[in-house]
Amino acid sequence: MRALTLILLFTLSALASETSLNLQVKIMEKVLNEISINKEKIIWSDNKKICKSFKKRNLIQTAPECKQATIVILQDKNNLPKECAHCIVFVLDYELLAKVPKSFGAFFWKKGRPNIVILKSRLKGLSIQASSALEPYLEEKIW
Amino acid sequence: MVKAKEIFLFIMLFALGVFFIYIYFYVKQTQEEIFIKMQENKIEDVSYVLKNIEDALLSKNSILSKDDLISHLSNKKNRTNYEEMISLFITPSIKYIYLLCKDQDERFRFLLDASKEDKANFYQKFDVFNEEYALAYQTSKPQIIKQQEMQNLYLTYLYPIKSANEVIGVLSVDITSDIQSDILDLLRPLETFFVILIIFIFLLMLMTILQIFHYFITRKKIFTDPLTQIYNRNYLQEISPRLNLNHYSLAMIDLDHFKVVNDVYGHKAGDAILAKSSLIMKSSIRDNDILIRYGGEEFMLLLYNRDSKDDLSEIYERVRKNISSHIFTYEKNKIEMQVSIGVHENPATEKDLNEAIKVADKMLYIAKKEGRNRVIYHKDNSKSTKNLNSKDIYFVKRAIEEDRVLCYYQPIYECKSGKIFKYEALVRIIDTDGKIIAPIQFLPELKHTNIHYKLTQRILSIIFDKFKDSSENVSINMNFTDLINKDIETTLKNTFASNPSLASRVTIEVLESDEIQNTALFKEKVKLIHSYGATVSIDDFGSGYSNFKSILDIEADFLKIDGSLVKNIATNEKDFKVVKSIIAFAKESNMKTIAEFVHSSEVYNKLSELGVEYMQGYFIAKPCERLLKESELFKG
Repeated sequence: MRALTLILLFTLSALASETSLNLQVKIMEKVLNEISINKEKIIWSDNKKICKSFKKRNLIQTAPECKQATIVILQDKNNLPKECAHCIVFVLDYELLAKVPKSFGAFFWKKGRPNIVILKSRLKGLSIQASSALEPYLEEKIW
Repeated sequence: MVKAKEIFLFIMLFALGVFFIYIYFYVKQTQEEIFIKMQENKIEDVSYVLKNIEDALLSKNSILSKDDLISHLSNKKNRTNYEEMISLFITPSIKYIYLLCKDQDERFRFLLDASKEDKANFYQKFDVFNEEYALAYQTSKPQIIKQQEMQNLYLTYLYPIKSANEVIGVLSVDITSDIQSDILDLLRPLETFFVILIIFIFLLMLMTILQIFHYFITRKKIFTDPLTQIYNRNYLQEISPRLNLNHYSLAMIDLDHFKVVNDVYGHKAGDAILAKSSLIMKSSIRDNDILIRYGGEEFMLLLYNRDSKDDLSEIYERVRKNISSHIFTYEKNKIEMQVSIGVHENPATEKDLNEAIKVADKMLYIAKKEGRNRVIYHKDNSKSTKNLNSKDIYFVKRAIEEDRVLCYYQPIYECKSGKIFKYEALVRIIDTDGKIIAPIQFLPELKHTNIHYKLTQRILSIIFDKFKDSSENVSINMNFTDLINKDIETTLKNTFASNPSLASRVTIEVLESDEIQNTALFKEKVKLIHSYGATVSIDDFGSGYSNFKSILDIEADFLKIDGSLVKNIATNEKDFKVVKSIIAFAKESNMKTIAEFVHSSEVYNKLSELGVEYMQGYFIAKPCERLLKESELFKG
């Protein structure tokens, strides 16, 4: 938890010097590293910039197509292909959590601040284990 | 001295730079103060609004606790009413107004959000990372968060809502940085102007520093001898106007027989020895002493005498010993060097530095004359002042420049034929008063100086000019160091090659002295002279350095018996015996003998009795400017 808080603090202080995309990717990278899914983590996103940034950082494997991925980072519900049914989803909008049943968490900007929400019930349903670092971000339900 | 102009310019630029930096920071500070003032005004306005909201929320609804507040606002209708009311305060500079509360897990959650965009749901979690949120709860006092350019936010004002002295929520207002950005945009050209000006001034300062640095580098080059890396005469010239001679003892140091090193091992070896010797001398003196390469192999040493704990004579002695104990090596050759040192302990007593140098120079020549490898100190009754008639090298230098050098010729008489065999050329200088000055008065001072070589060159020129078209023989005096001097050798070669008749009539008289240490080299030079048909005579034989073996090796043509032996031959039995032995030795060695200093008929008769082939002296004829005829001999 401390590590995640530190990285969030770090990212906040570095807001002036770093693009929001990079920060966003760094935070998501940290979140995804704190979960285990019993499979190799391979990312695909409907946001090509995010995909490119993950690929560039090369800390988590990325897939060119959704069917090869295990985790989808979703920006728009309409962009979720059918062949991604086997993937767990991490959304980029709080409202999408309600719209995408396979989503387990979200990263989004609220009032200019980065926010993370991880849904406890979805973690269980999707057999995802989250480390204690994610505890401050765990929510019982979507408000 | 560094040019005053550059220093003044540097100081001016520095002051200007400091002034503009001050102005820049002053403007920045003022800018900051303006923002603080604006911030205070804004917050003051906002705080009144928030107070009103608090009153409207709490007093009208009898909310006493956090749970009451959550319960009241969980009603969507209530929420909508309040959010509509609060949204009236949203302006271009007030971006978000929202109410947060802390849940049981210390996480902040939205209760109200009057924002027109990016609206949060009721009880949605809000991740905050500034400690001011917690402080607002702990202290019950409003908090201000200065945002770090976050999403166009300038600052966040946190207003705690209290009930029964307990904070039950925090009203948060995010103020945008739009106005600040506008002000910054307005001030930016001024700020840029100052930054460019400061950079420009610092570039100018850098250029000035580089110029000063370049001056010092050039100065070092100008004042340092490239070979020895010690000071040169330019440095002496630079410091002499402000040099306090009362604080120094002055010494002139000369490497003994350095010319021989140059001639035998080459100039590169000479250079190596000069460099190493300088290093040794430098390591033998103290930091506040000054060592200068005065010229060629001559050094000047100024020993600082204000440091009473050091005995200066020990330092001079240390210099001498360190040089003489060092074995110099050049291309596997081991070379031993020595130095002669002439010291003037109180140079301030002289008229100026040049006079003091002259005195130290005289001491140096005395050190040379007395056998070298020694330190000679100047005292009031020193040898330098004993001979009032002695002339220094400057006298000779001037005489050469003003063409006041001439030769006298003394006939050398052939006993057997009764004819003049040849003439010995003897140098004279006419002083500025027209008086003829004998060599004894100036030659000792010249030994091993460049002036000596110049004088020899002048004498050769006079003699060769006089004898080139005559049929007479001439004898020319030379030192061994003259003989091995490249310039003099070239003169001899060129003259002899162009006029073989003259060459056959020339005898080079070489003084027999301790200078002839390199017999092989001497022999080589004798061979060279012989190759042109000229002859060689050993001068002053028997004067104290006589080495019969060396003389045999050299294969000279004549042996001139030293005058000190000849003059008393009629009265001193021992001298008679020595002369007799020399004559016998010469005959055995196939050399002809010449006796000099024949001053009386008694001496003449004794020498005739011993069978000397040639004689010269006042009894036969005095040296004369013109060539005497036989009829003019023995005229007293």
